[in-house]
Amino acid sequence: MEIKRRDFLRLFGGVSGALLIDGCGLDEVFDLPANMIEKAKKGAGIEAWSSTICSLCPGGCGIQVRMIDGIPVSVKGNRFYPVNLGGMCPLGINALHELYNPDRAKTPLRRSGDRGSGKWEPVTWDDALKTVSEKLATVRKEGKSHQVGFLGYNERGLMREHISRFMRAFGSPNYYQFSLTQNDTVAYQLLQGQSQVPAYDILNAKLIMSFGANFLEGGYSPVYHTKLYSHHQDRNTRFVQIESRMSLTGANADRWVPVRPGTYGALALGIAYVLIREELYDKEFVKNRTFGFEDWVDRFGGKHTGFKSDVLGNYYPERASQITGVPSATILELARELGNTRPSVVLGDGGAVANTNGTFALMAVHSLNALLGNIERGGGVLFIDQPPVQKHAMVSEDPVARTGNHQTPIAQPDEIAFPMTDFSIESFAQHVLAERPYPLRILFLYRGNALFQSLNHDDLVNALKKIDLIVSFDSVINETSEYADLILPDHTFLEKWDEVSNVPSVGFTHVGIQHPVIQPLHDTRHTGDVLIELARRVGGTVGAAFPLNTYEEEIKFRMKGVYLSGEGAVATQGVRQLWLDYLQQRGWQIGRYASFEEFWDRLLEHGGWWNPIRKKKSSSEVFRTPSGKFEFYSQTLKASVDRLVAKAGAPRSSQNLDLVLNRLNISARGDSVFLPHHEPVSYEEDKPLYLIPFHVLPNPDGQAANLPMMQEMFGYTARRFWSSWVEIHPETAAQYAIAEDSWVWVETSVGRLKVQAKLSHAIVPNVIAIPFGLGHTSYGRYAKGHGVNPHSIIRNLYDLISGKAAFEATKAKITLAS
Amino acid sequence: MMDKTHQCDLDQDAALYRPIYQTGRGYYVVGGIFLAVYLFSIYMYYAQIRNGLGVTGMNQPVTWGFYIVNFVFFIGISHAGTLISAILRLSKAEWRRPITRMAEVITAIVLAIGGLHPIIDLGRPDRMMNLLESGRLQSPLLWDVTSITAYFTASTVYLYLPMIPDIARIRDRGGKLTWLYTFMAWGWQGTERQKQVLNRAINILMVMVIPIAISVHTVISYIFSMTLQPGWHSTIFGPYFVAGAIFSGIAALLIVMIIFRKVFHFEDYLKQIHFQYLGTLLLIMSIIWFYFTFSEYLTGIFGGEPHEMNTILYKFSGPFAFFFWGMVLCNFVIPVTILSFRKFKTISGVLIASIAVVIGMWLERFIIVVPSLANPRMELPLGIYIPSLVEWALFAGGLSVFALGFMVFAKFFPLISIWEIEEGRIHGVKEVEERIHSYLPGRELSNL
Amino acid sequence: MPRWAMVIDLDKCTGCGACMAACKMENNVAIVDSKEAQAGRALFWMDMITTYEGEYPTVAAKRMPKPCFQCDNPPCTKVCPVRATYRNNEGLVAQIYHRCIGCRYCMAACPFTTKVFNWYEPQWLEGANKCFNPDVSVRAVGVVEKCSFCAHRLQHVKEVADLEKRPLQDGEYVPACSEICPADAISFGDLENKDSAVYKLSRSYRASRVMEDLGVEPKVYYLSKRVS
Ligand SMILES: Nc1nc2c(c(=O)[nH]1)N[C@H]1C(S)=C(S)[C@@H](COP(=O)(O)OP(=O)(O)OC[C@H]3O[C@@H](n4cnc5c(=O)[nH]c(N)nc54)[C@H](O)[C@@H]3O)O[C@H]1N2
Ligand SMILES: Nc1nc2c(c(=O)[nH]1)N[C@H]1C(S)=C(S)[C@@H](COP(=O)(O)OP(=O)(O)OC[C@H]3O[C@@H](n4cnc5c(=O)[nH]c(N)nc54)[C@H](O)[C@@H]3O)O[C@H]1N2
Ligand code: SF4
Ligand code: SF4
Ligand code: SF4
Ligand code: SF4
Ligand code: SF4
Ligand SMILES: [Mo]
Repeated sequence: MEIKRRDFLRLFGGVSGALLIDGCGLDEVFDLPANMIEKAKKGAGIEAWSSTICSLCPGGCGIQVRMIDGIPVSVKGNRFYPVNLGGMCPLGINALHELYNPDRAKTPLRRSGDRGSGKWEPVTWDDALKTVSEKLATVRKEGKSHQVGFLGYNERGLMREHISRFMRAFGSPNYYQFSLTQNDTVAYQLLQGQSQVPAYDILNAKLIMSFGANFLEGGYSPVYHTKLYSHHQDRNTRFVQIESRMSLTGANADRWVPVRPGTYGALALGIAYVLIREELYDKEFVKNRTFGFEDWVDRFGGKHTGFKSDVLGNYYPERASQITGVPSATILELARELGNTRPSVVLGDGGAVANTNGTFALMAVHSLNALLGNIERGGGVLFIDQPPVQKHAMVSEDPVARTGNHQTPIAQPDEIAFPMTDFSIESFAQHVLAERPYPLRILFLYRGNALFQSLNHDDLVNALKKIDLIVSFDSVINETSEYADLILPDHTFLEKWDEVSNVPSVGFTHVGIQHPVIQPLHDTRHTGDVLIELARRVGGTVGAAFPLNTYEEEIKFRMKGVYLSGEGAVATQGVRQLWLDYLQQRGWQIGRYASFEEFWDRLLEHGGWWNPIRKKKSSSEVFRTPSGKFEFYSQTLKASVDRLVAKAGAPRSSQNLDLVLNRLNISARGDSVFLPHHEPVSYEEDKPLYLIPFHVLPNPDGQAANLPMMQEMFGYTARRFWSSWVEIHPETAAQYAIAEDSWVWVETSVGRLKVQAKLSHAIVPNVIAIPFGLGHTSYGRYAKGHGVNPHSIIRNLYDLISGKAAFEATKAKITLAS
Repeated sequence: MMDKTHQCDLDQDAALYRPIYQTGRGYYVVGGIFLAVYLFSIYMYYAQIRNGLGVTGMNQPVTWGFYIVNFVFFIGISHAGTLISAILRLSKAEWRRPITRMAEVITAIVLAIGGLHPIIDLGRPDRMMNLLESGRLQSPLLWDVTSITAYFTASTVYLYLPMIPDIARIRDRGGKLTWLYTFMAWGWQGTERQKQVLNRAINILMVMVIPIAISVHTVISYIFSMTLQPGWHSTIFGPYFVAGAIFSGIAALLIVMIIFRKVFHFEDYLKQIHFQYLGTLLLIMSIIWFYFTFSEYLTGIFGGEPHEMNTILYKFSGPFAFFFWGMVLCNFVIPVTILSFRKFKTISGVLIASIAVVIGMWLERFIIVVPSLANPRMELPLGIYIPSLVEWALFAGGLSVFALGFMVFAKFFPLISIWEIEEGRIHGVKEVEERIHSYLPGRELSNL
Repeated sequence: MPRWAMVIDLDKCTGCGACMAACKMENNVAIVDSKEAQAGRALFWMDMITTYEGEYPTVAAKRMPKPCFQCDNPPCTKVCPVRATYRNNEGLVAQIYHRCIGCRYCMAACPFTTKVFNWYEPQWLEGANKCFNPDVSVRAVGVVEKCSFCAHRLQHVKEVADLEKRPLQDGEYVPACSEICPADAISFGDLENKDSAVYKLSRSYRASRVMEDLGVEPKVYYLSKRVS
């Protein structure tokens, strides 16, 4: 009914609209395919709304596009889509600017100058595909199929499966994702055996204590969390935010607790000390469902220190205070508040994990949830069920593929590093550069902009230069694809099919269907379809891996599983009213459809499917650890370090252990290594200030820098537009004679940047912060040449357990620029 | 008969005619420079028309800048003329005779310049006619348009009428442009009847022009004080602006007098005594100005309304302190020091004081317009305002027009009213004598 | 006659800025380039005021989205020499762009600094000016503009209601900023309708208006537990 009423015929813009058209000349204003212009010129138009999913960030919001005569003119949030319930963030509102962006790659392009020179010539799809498929065939003929790599970003769901299938059938183990969500979850793997980002039941918790998790401004789905946050007033939820620089989340918290960078873990453990000492923890949960809390004896009779003794021995409030800079009184207050409020939830992310000690810090933070018994409870930490999509059959590998797939992945880290992950951009760059254990000859780039994001810029550039053929699927040429030989441009998300399921950190199972609201504006193709086409051209088992003709059909195939499961419902009207009720009553009506086709149509009409009912889980599903419990003492980490020790090859294993721990930058010894503990960050002591980058909502990953409106809004809270700034505490500023808006040099051992100062009381003295997202050297007219990229002066350091970049491990000095 | 008088005048007041007939090289050089500056400013204005007001340094929240500052400033200067001349005429101050013409010329030229400024300031000058088509009489801006137009009309007439006898003299001397002078002289023959009518007209205008002049600056002050902005919303702005206007007007008049005295050798006409008198007037105005400024800020500080206080603090010790204290120095410290001591009250002393006052009053206009806008009530960071080249050029252009206006005027008309000087010589002494008798006891004086 | 008003719940609002962007898109507000925006000419009908209270470490931040307050007694309309801004009988303070002479007097007179000016010819996404909202005219150089309470949307829902021969309902007229807000912080409606959400919220103990002492009667209420 609601939708129908909107479909009524109306004048195309009325009086004012007519003015607009006459005034500017239609063709100039509407740089659209001719048939559409002809339609628009007729004057009267039909308004319609088309539902899809926003893909400007991983947030997965449902949106509706306003179409007039088939031309998208604006977007708004889909009121019935459960993730965002009609809300959007400033970035998503720019969806059409992404679609109509003048700097898109509009046809396939072949590089016509040196790598990185930015000279391109258009080629036809057929030529381009021929070049690629011939090269692929050659490599395969030589039995070197493993020398083909694929660098994705953080694609999930079908796209990830699709690419995997391509690579597997082709015969290469070298499919990497530059920003794999899994790297964020190492702490959960170690403690709980879960390799998913947890969801936090913010709506039902009475106290939310966040260690650096900037869930309102960044995180995986800012709009989802904002929706939940908006109820804190009527539900009397208390928010505590712990971080070095007040983020948007900190600004909205009831209490902001500033902490020295790199010491989040120590603070969490200081709080754990008080919880244990004052017996405020959940004894029942700790006793029955955790491992390694009390001192324990292993099966060989070896005595081990438990979490309790370790914490009580090392993290008394005075010491925690000394490390973190948080007064002991505050630590006591936080702990008592946490211990006396149920249910509560403790989050860790962002600054807490962006350091060389990030994994241990996040372990310390998450162990508070175990102490409080917050795991798998309403108002606590939840792990979400996967959607019941239908999976494609395993591909059959021919001998070439089988050999290729058994090769060592080229980016597999050196023996002693990253014990928990199989990829980091660091090891990728090193190994490609050294051609170790073999050269990489073809590389596909899918979305992502590793060069802009990465810390080891030079190595990565040189590594890219080593590769014979780089094929980028980017829809806008960015810093990384400047080094490509061919651009096979993808559609933008409003022109293409995709499946956006289970956005990390969202508290229910869901699948969003992104579908084209407009025919492609340019000569672009869906990367999924291009892969199918390439596979077909290579032929044999590779081609056979894709029995369906298009990516769209694959989505439909997967959704049959959802239809057949009979679970959940299409996101339709009524969700809003049930939004709060469902959590309390779990009373959910499951929609029934006469046929899959009906289900599919409804799905497209409403944008997605969701299932708020969580399956009952057994203890072993919640805790997938060797002990089947929450492991304060991580046997997983122990096993993995043991494996490294066995490989290390020194005469005595105690020496090996030292070697391994030193290589991993672990200074702790004994059982502490495997317990949540504070690992000091080795800062360069000759520089006085901690440098931390931070993200802003309009452009968190730098991806929005090609959208002019987001550039204008970039520093809207600091009233800085299109430009970078450095936040600095007035006390610190006074030490260096820096005033508001002074130009300063921020210098690290890597390099220096010139930025304008912004004085702020909401940052730890001796910490300076620069927003990330600007400083592009490519990526179109709006991105290029505005502001600075703080990553360009950050030391190339990593958390060697998870392989995540340590953005906050660099110190800097600051001087007034004349 | 007539001729003879003229002849004799010519001898006596030859210095006053000389600028009309003799043009030195210096004139062309100086004129050329001003013309160049003026043309440059026109070009800059053209750029502004083409591109929009973006070429200025204005922004949000500093939505008004040099143009409005200069508007208030120039209109203020315009009070030099007609108002002062009218007051002096009305009070029958005999020493006014060599001064009034210059004063009135200042008014006419500067009003034209000042009056153009709000138009220069418009985002859409092409829609200026909307003011007539859909003007709202409730808007102080429209009061301004009205009163400035009235003042301009009255002032030009008031400049023109006393010029008629002089124009007739030039007409009668023959030479260049006789047709123009003939036309402008309006058949003046100097008959008693004509003189009577002329004097009557001047007297009526003189009385009319005073309230109009006062209204002009009062209304300009209303532009600001009718809003709620901190630093603007003040009841004494009307008289404060008028006093300031007269103050800057006198200073400007003094500067003009001193320059022409030097350039055209008017030493015989503009004597020490004129500068003494006007200097004293300047001193009085400086003290009145100080009184107003003091009251304005004292009440603001005592009220202590936070937004008001913010603005005041920005002026006293913040980013505008330089301008504020510069203003106090120029408008009060310097003139009072110079003009209070006989020793300093020389012509050069007066010149320095006058220049200081003109600068100071410009700073005052600036300090009224910009800080209030830069520091709005909302908690926004302090607005920035750096005038652009275009604004400087148009400011310089305005000053050039002023100079050029005078230079052109001097080429066609006497800068000092010849007939009034004559009249002073012939009737003045007797009249003063009579007047003195009328207000002093006894007739003995004349016998002495 | 209705009196349209907005209530912004600062206890819900996170300061995300979605309303700012949505407003720009909805109303075809120009995008200001780098140099101009840094010179203080960024164009936001919905602006964001950020203030910090307290000294480190007990700092609290306050974020306040700021549209035009649509004053019932607007100082801006009083000064306009040509009636290019006026308050209509539904309480909306409107701009007539083609009549405005660009004197910026209304900007100087607005105590809340909500008006913006087109210092240059407006620009949008380069070479692709096609996602204009056809319901809203674009402005020319040299005129003042500001939040209109999305008056075109009122027009739209009125047309619909007329077609369906029924009166407008509460919640039917929703401006773009209110519609997009991920925190549901912006309520909108008619103050004359005692059953409307905004009427009730405007009476809340948390409700206040900015600088109420000025007597300009803003029709934007802010809700906050913190005393503003
Ligand atoms: N619109 C939009 N939203 C996005 C994305 C996008 O592209 N667009 N990207 C999404 C993705 S993929 C991700 S992974 C997330 C990332 O979002 P988050 O996971 O929230 O990570 P960051 O934004 O990097 O947040 C880091 C925060 O922690 C603080 N911080 C960092 N290090 C330290 C420290 O050592 N000490 C202290 N005290 N504080 C520290 C920083 O000030 C910063 O505020 O954003 C997501 N959200
Ligand atoms: N130094 C540093 N490194 C980081 C991070 C950090 O904060 N700092 N964050 C990490 C995290 S959490 C993440 S998520 C990643 C983010 O890093 P990336 O995944 O590299 O994300 P972006 O830099 O936003 O690059 C996105 C690119 O995708 C392309 N693109 C946009 N739309 C489309 C499309 O529809 N199709 C295709 N094919 N391409 C498209 C555009 O060309 C754009 O350049 O970076 C990770 N690395
Ligand atoms: S949060 Fe992400 S998905 Fe949602 S609207 Fe913003 S950009 Fe789009
Ligand atoms: S959109 Fe809503 S939450 Fe975001 S800033 Fe605006 S009012 Fe606040
Ligand atoms: S807020 Fe300003 S612009 Fe809006 S109505 Fe009030 S005075 Fe006018
Ligand atoms: S700028 Fe336009 S709307 Fe504002 S006062 Fe002047 S004419 Fe009126
Ligand atoms: S009401 Fe409309 S015009 Fe006003 S701020 Fe909101 S979106 Fe912008
Ligand atoms: Mo990410």
